[in-house]
Amino acid sequence: MAKVQELEIRNKYTGELIDTVPADTPETVKEKIKKVDQNQHLLKEMDFFERAQLLAKFATKLRFNKSQLKDLVVAEGGLPIKYSEWELNIVMNGFKFCDWYYQFLEEKSLTSIEGEQLVKIKYIPHGLAVCISPRNTPISLPLYQLGANYLVGNGAIVKPSTACPLTMLKAYSMMEEIELPALEALDLVIAPGEWAVDEFLQSPLVKTLMTITASHTAKDILVRYGRYLKKTVDKSMGVAMYTQPFKNFFFECAGNDAGIVMDDVNLEKVANWNVMASFTNSGQQCFSMKRIIVHQDIYDEYTELLIKEMEKLKYGDPTDPNVDIGPLGSRRILMMMEVMVEDAKKYNAKIFTGAEKIDPGGDYGLFYKPTLVEIKPELCEDLSKAPFLWREEAFGPVRSITKAKDMKDAIKLANLSNYGMRAVVYTSNLNNIEVFKNQLEAANIYINARPMLVDITVSLGGIKDSAYPAGCKYYPQELVYGKYIYDGTSVNLEKLK
Amino acid sequence: MLENELTSQIIDKDAYKTEIAKKYTLFLAQYPEIFSDLIFGSNFDFALYDSLEAYDKESPIDIFNVLRNRNGIEIKPGKAVDSDLELALSVNAVKKLIQTTAKQEYAQLLGTFYDDPDEVQGWIDFILHKRTQTLIDMGYGKFAQTAGILKDDDDIYSM
Repeated sequence: MAKVQELEIRNKYTGELIDTVPADTPETVKEKIKKVDQNQHLLKEMDFFERAQLLAKFATKLRFNKSQLKDLVVAEGGLPIKYSEWELNIVMNGFKFCDWYYQFLEEKSLTSIEGEQLVKIKYIPHGLAVCISPRNTPISLPLYQLGANYLVGNGAIVKPSTACPLTMLKAYSMMEEIELPALEALDLVIAPGEWAVDEFLQSPLVKTLMTITASHTAKDILVRYGRYLKKTVDKSMGVAMYTQPFKNFFFECAGNDAGIVMDDVNLEKVANWNVMASFTNSGQQCFSMKRIIVHQDIYDEYTELLIKEMEKLKYGDPTDPNVDIGPLGSRRILMMMEVMVEDAKKYNAKIFTGAEKIDPGGDYGLFYKPTLVEIKPELCEDLSKAPFLWREEAFGPVRSITKAKDMKDAIKLANLSNYGMRAVVYTSNLNNIEVFKNQLEAANIYINARPMLVDITVSLGGIKDSAYPAGCKYYPQELVYGKYIYDGTSVNLEKLK
Repeated sequence: MLENELTSQIIDKDAYKTEIAKKYTLFLAQYPEIFSDLIFGSNFDFALYDSLEAYDKESPIDIFNVLRNRNGIEIKPGKAVDSDLELALSVNAVKKLIQTTAKQEYAQLLGTFYDDPDEVQGWIDFILHKRTQTLIDMGYGKFAQTAGILKDDDDIYSM
């Protein structure tokens, strides 16, 4: 049996040790998968609304313990305290009103051409799901994954990031405190993805693997599964027969969202929202306005306003309620920001503001100042030759700004990307709005919207490299399959007797 | 109907079990416009609890129902047979809420008790008896915003 390792979880800002937690081993991961699988029936013994009510009750528990959770999110995640409030609200409101998702799971009757109602589509939970969640949201995404599975009746294992597992462990202990029914069908795995993913892929009990991760990591998971399938080939019949079944892969990946600002809106207001959309959580958000595309007639004025707003951002100690920008999640992110800015400089890109780091030398208290880089439109036309900052996700506080000739040009630029999570447009021209809705290549289009919407009805998902399968999505909807049931009893029974 | 035309009616004023519930009904009767977003026929229970433990055990010290009718609101003691939801409040929260002197101040404090519930300072919660979508259609989402329970996005997070 492998030796149990202790993980040290440190404060992202100070580097102080917050806690140590025992890490899972391959053996304990297997045991957890088995336990959750064996207990899934407990979820099915309740109906959707019972499970929804239990999650709502848990939301109350979370709310009464919000300050403890907020402190953990800030300490281990480095998220500014005011952002952690937002992060918790997403999940608390989501759980409180989770029965809203029933509309996606409600049994449907279909009427045939002859007018008969013999067909029903029922929605059935897929079965055990393993969910891998990222470092940038210590609670909202992993808990949403866990809650969505509970709601539809799937057993679930969530693997929070090993950089910040404490908030989820705390949330799980709160589920234990309220004696959440069927908790035996939910569990957490604290283990590095490098080997844990293989355990999940190789277990026949795991029916769905859902991850929120970089697109390249998601593709790597598919490659790993392909390699594993290859090892299981049976050639005894003379042809290759893959003995392992399909799994459901459900990836939420990177975003490189375009934000288009036209010349017919209140620029001060848009600049203020733009900063919120681009730099919340130090820009470490998949849905963040990363490529700012501005109409040429207002480009200079808007850039000036945007810089002014960016320079108001306060960075530093994330426990300070006035701080907007907390420490970066890792040295790797700091390095990526530096690489992207240096690469842009090779294209003679103008750096309007930022491009400075604060690096005390260790892995903690790392900052990169909010940065705005001009990318000339002609550099974006051939994506393979475009600056990294344009073609890859800047998962940190560096943003590009690009001039567009007109609406058509702005849409063309926005679509010049391998990603398609969200896009936002600011304009007062109603005709343009229709064009944007139809032509922007993203799964989620926002028109004149305030950023950071927290409503339960806000969808996730993406197209291109932003998500698999493609499209806007609500998790509960993705965790069930449709079963077609044709029941001809009422019309044929007499003939068959 | 214009907001300022809404009226309040308190039924069976002497039937309340506790003085605090009675005071709260008198207080709410001042602000029928808070309920203006709800469709006619909406009704929900206000349940007062003296501890979180009592809330867990679903044993309020007092309970009354507010019905949105064509004229405004009607407040009556006891719980309704088919209420849309229960708004649960700690007694300490109610004591503070009835001290407020303006609708906005009331809404802000109610919001605080929801956002930062505290066993000693005060707390509120709600239990839905109908589906969220049904309640949204009945106007409860808007009501929750007016009452200070659900925040506007700009209030939740601003840089």
